Amino acid sequence: MIEQLEQVRVDALQEISRADSLKLVEELRVKFLGRKGVLTGLLRSVSQASPEERPVLGKAANELKLQLTASLDQKFDDLQAIEKSRTARNDFFDVTLPGRRPRLGHLHVISQVAEEIVAIFAELGFQVATGPEIETEYYNFDALNTPPDHPARDLHDTFFVRPGVVLRTHTSPVQMRVMEKMQPPVAVVAPGRVYRVDADATHSPMFFQIEGLLVDEGVGFADLKGTLMHFIHRLFGKDVQMRFRPHFFPFTEPSAELDILWTSDKGGGGSQTKWMEILGCGMVHPEVFKHAGYDPERYTGFAFGLGVDRIAMVRHRISSITYLYESDMRFLEQF
Amino acid sequence: MRISYRWLKELVDFDLSPEDLAHRLTMLGLEIESVERPGAGVSGIRIGKIMDIKPHPDADKLVVCQTDVGQGDPLQIVCGAKNMRVGDRVPTAVIGATLPGDFTIARRKMRGIESQGMMCSARELGLGQDHAGLLILPESFPIGEDAVPLLGLDDVILEIEVTPNRGDWAGMIGVAREVAAALGTTLRLPDASLKEAEVLASSIASVTIEDPVLCPRYIGRVLTGVTVGPSPLWMVQRLVHAGQRSISSIVDITNYILLETGHPLHAFDLKKLANNRIIVRAAKHGETIETIDGQPRSLDEMMLVIADAERPVAVAGVMGGLKSEVGDSTSEILLESAVFQPQSVRRTSRALGLQTEASARFQRGADPEMAGFAMERATKLIQEIAGAQVMRGQLDEYPGKKTPVELTLRYRRTGILLGAEVPPATQRDVLSRLHFDVKEASLEACTARVPSWRHDVTMEADLIEEIARLHGFDNIPSRLPMVRKTEAVLAPREAEVRELRRLLAGLGLTEMMNLSFGNPSDLEKSNLGEELRGMVMLQNPLSENHAGMRISLVPGVLAVVSSNLRRGVSDIHAFEVGNVYMNGADNELPIQRLRLCIVLIGSRNEAHWGVEPAKVDFFDAKGFAEALFVSCGIESTLVPEFFAPLQPGHSAKFTCGDSLLGHVGRASEEVLSRFDIDQPVYLVDLDLDMLLSLPRSKRYFTALSVYPPSLRDMAVVVDAAVPAEQVLKIARDAGGSLLTEVNIFDVYSGKQVPEGKKSLALGLTFQATDRTLTDKDTQKTWDRILKNLQDSLQAELR
Repeated sequence: MIEQLEQVRVDALQEISRADSLKLVEELRVKFLGRKGVLTGLLRSVSQASPEERPVLGKAANELKLQLTASLDQKFDDLQAIEKSRTARNDFFDVTLPGRRPRLGHLHVISQVAEEIVAIFAELGFQVATGPEIETEYYNFDALNTPPDHPARDLHDTFFVRPGVVLRTHTSPVQMRVMEKMQPPVAVVAPGRVYRVDADATHSPMFFQIEGLLVDEGVGFADLKGTLMHFIHRLFGKDVQMRFRPHFFPFTEPSAELDILWTSDKGGGGSQTKWMEILGCGMVHPEVFKHAGYDPERYTGFAFGLGVDRIAMVRHRISSITYLYESDMRFLEQF
Repeated sequence: MRISYRWLKELVDFDLSPEDLAHRLTMLGLEIESVERPGAGVSGIRIGKIMDIKPHPDADKLVVCQTDVGQGDPLQIVCGAKNMRVGDRVPTAVIGATLPGDFTIARRKMRGIESQGMMCSARELGLGQDHAGLLILPESFPIGEDAVPLLGLDDVILEIEVTPNRGDWAGMIGVAREVAAALGTTLRLPDASLKEAEVLASSIASVTIEDPVLCPRYIGRVLTGVTVGPSPLWMVQRLVHAGQRSISSIVDITNYILLETGHPLHAFDLKKLANNRIIVRAAKHGETIETIDGQPRSLDEMMLVIADAERPVAVAGVMGGLKSEVGDSTSEILLESAVFQPQSVRRTSRALGLQTEASARFQRGADPEMAGFAMERATKLIQEIAGAQVMRGQLDEYPGKKTPVELTLRYRRTGILLGAEVPPATQRDVLSRLHFDVKEASLEACTARVPSWRHDVTMEADLIEEIARLHGFDNIPSRLPMVRKTEAVLAPREAEVRELRRLLAGLGLTEMMNLSFGNPSDLEKSNLGEELRGMVMLQNPLSENHAGMRISLVPGVLAVVSSNLRRGVSDIHAFEVGNVYMNGADNELPIQRLRLCIVLIGSRNEAHWGVEPAKVDFFDAKGFAEALFVSCGIESTLVPEFFAPLQPGHSAKFTCGDSLLGHVGRASEEVLSRFDIDQPVYLVDLDLDMLLSLPRSKRYFTALSVYPPSLRDMAVVVDAAVPAEQVLKIARDAGGSLLTEVNIFDVYSGKQVPEGKKSLALGLTFQATDRTLTDKDTQKTWDRILKNLQDSLQAELR
């Protein structure tokens, strides 16, 4: 009986060690330990042995059962580990597949640049003001010291809706509308669409301007310079060179244009560095204050107007203004 | 205006390179657009004389010329220009010559005929933009001579932009005066001395001004014994540099004086003036004149003319008449140097659609004193060049002579306006250098008498600008101002609109910005033709496409969808926020309203390996609007409603209370076909001004339940025409406070349900805040919901 058990141990261990699949391991488990298995059969016959032999045989048979169980479990785990590593290799998880990205919208490049500019002035304490795009000639010209037949009107090719009513040619009429509403101190920026009868690669009949106005006691040209220099440094970087150049606007005195020294891409790896006009500015003309009902002896102020389109084109190297307003999705999605 | 560096040096001393001069002028407000060296790289150009011109046998547009360049046989040159005649002298590039842009002239065949050089236009020599024909030179240019020095190609030309306030900068003397003031050197006026004959001009001709407001000064001079001939070399050179052509000595002299002094002159053939009279008067009704450009012009009483005893002979300050024009045979001249009111010249010039050099100068305001000097200079040159006898005396009518304006300058005011202290002595010095007559009035102020050419200086601020300009903007310090705040909020909506645009972009929509013009035909194509009545039209539109201002965003959006499709873009998820415009009440400004248009076409998602491709549909569009309303705290209701651009049945309106917020739907097939769009387009069109004016629902805290929710489903079959919204409402009402959420997770119609019916699967969430719901609680509510659906809609449980 003991010999039989020993024979089973030898056979079983040998067969288990040779097993090369989980299926075979389970078959061996059934073969030796199953209800009709070899070991189970032997255990049953223990009851027929003599009472002296019974405990000895029972103990040996149980030990064998434990040993085979352990051996089978071990084999099963080993084989399973091997199988796992094998399937892992077949079931490669590719992290480089494109992510399921939510669709990204794009703000228009003009919105982006205009918001950035307005934010810079907002930090300095300027608040946003607006005015109608279809304006009276009074606000667009007369109140800004540009009476009828003034040669400066020739610089603005004006769209007329009817006599006395125009599409505003600049955001400057907002100056007067704000000043009529409130007393100094006034610190506003006014972004918006403006219109001129002009259309080519650098001119659009509609474009986007931002007007600025600061009026208070004791505001001087030095404040104008400081404010706009800060603005240019914020927008174009600390290193950009700039200059204030005398100019003429009917509604400011003195008047200036601000240029920056800008290196533009000429294509083909070449570049060109030159002075480029960024904005017009000046000290508010006393006549404008008179129209607003402000005392020009008490208050002084500065105003400026800048073309958002031009700044956007320069910064983003946009070759023609027409791209800005034709809503080609391929263009809009670049920004 | 084009300034010759060499000529400027004759008028004022300065020791600056052309580039330094350009910088200096720019910083004085005379913006230099370019510095040109026309002769750079130019060689081998000779003065040639055209001996013969024959047609090219094989080319209609070419001719074959024989041109004598003073060496050997004449050169055979094939040429495409048309303005030359036999005997003309032209700059001729010989074999081996180089032209601007490294262009070398070689012997070559043109349509089978050998060409041994090239005759040049002004532009081909680097002189301005004139390319209308060859540069024809007068006989004063010797044949065979090197054209480079003769044409002054070794000079430097500065192109300046003259601002409208500084008419005085439109002449060499004015620019030289500015340079002298800036550098503290002296201006050298050219010689204007002349010899007069014994005979009094007034014994031959007369000048009368009938309207002294429109003509403050008119000077005439009578010259006899004139021989019209070619102009001298030096003068032609300067005219060519300025971009002009030489015509004849008399015309050239008036043009030259215009360049030199900035003052326009006009020469009449005296023999063609009836009764030798000049009358400056308003045109009479029905009068006409043929101007020197050969055009007949109808005049009206608003226009000022120069007339002789019988009829107008010139449109004052704009253009002379053809009949009294100086020609080759002219021997007696009445020379005009006058001043006309800028507004009047501007109006006349606009009314006639005739902009000339002269009208441009007069519109900026002429200097009545310079009128006298210009007259003397021109007369002197005519005497020298055309051998004229000058009759004694000017016929000078000067009814508009004004005493110079005297302004007070408070030194302290300069400090305030500039934010910089400029010493009083410096302030006075700057003004004196600019020819203001300065007198010290007190310790605090001085007076300054304004020179005759400075119409732009009328108040103290103008004087301060002059001080800032010459003192230098660079010398004014810079400081960040203390910006004082006020309580006023001028445009509260701007921030909301900015947030809204960012929200939409964050939701995956791209912002479009279309021109705010409107096209009536696009409006009609969008079935919105009825809106045309309210459309704001432009009196001077750029084109039919931009005939007015848009009254709806929809047509513009459909137009760009169409153009995107043509360019191969087929997925569009975009929005536009912008104003639309409509006529307001009479005498009021048109109304402008801010609107939002969302447009969706093509795929819902970008192509992706892990996402089933799907097309956008109505509910995507509706969903964007709903997200927007939720974000704005607006509770809107949607009901089916016909909207003209949209497909009937696939169109609905959003309302909030009584307010119409806008529409959503699929664009109608009829509309799409008119825009050449062949796939479904979903639109949301909202009134943002309305939306932002509505009160936003307040958000209050609701207690969060600590008890678990119980989830149940319910599938009911109802008539296909029952709106889902109605089912949800009944469920919500019946569910009461225990039903915390209800949604529709499936809509089915087909084999499993009877014809004309649909099955809606509701997901119901039950939850109480004070206890854990028992199955009994949940079942009771569930039963009540079902019963109400059965009672109200004859729904059947599926």
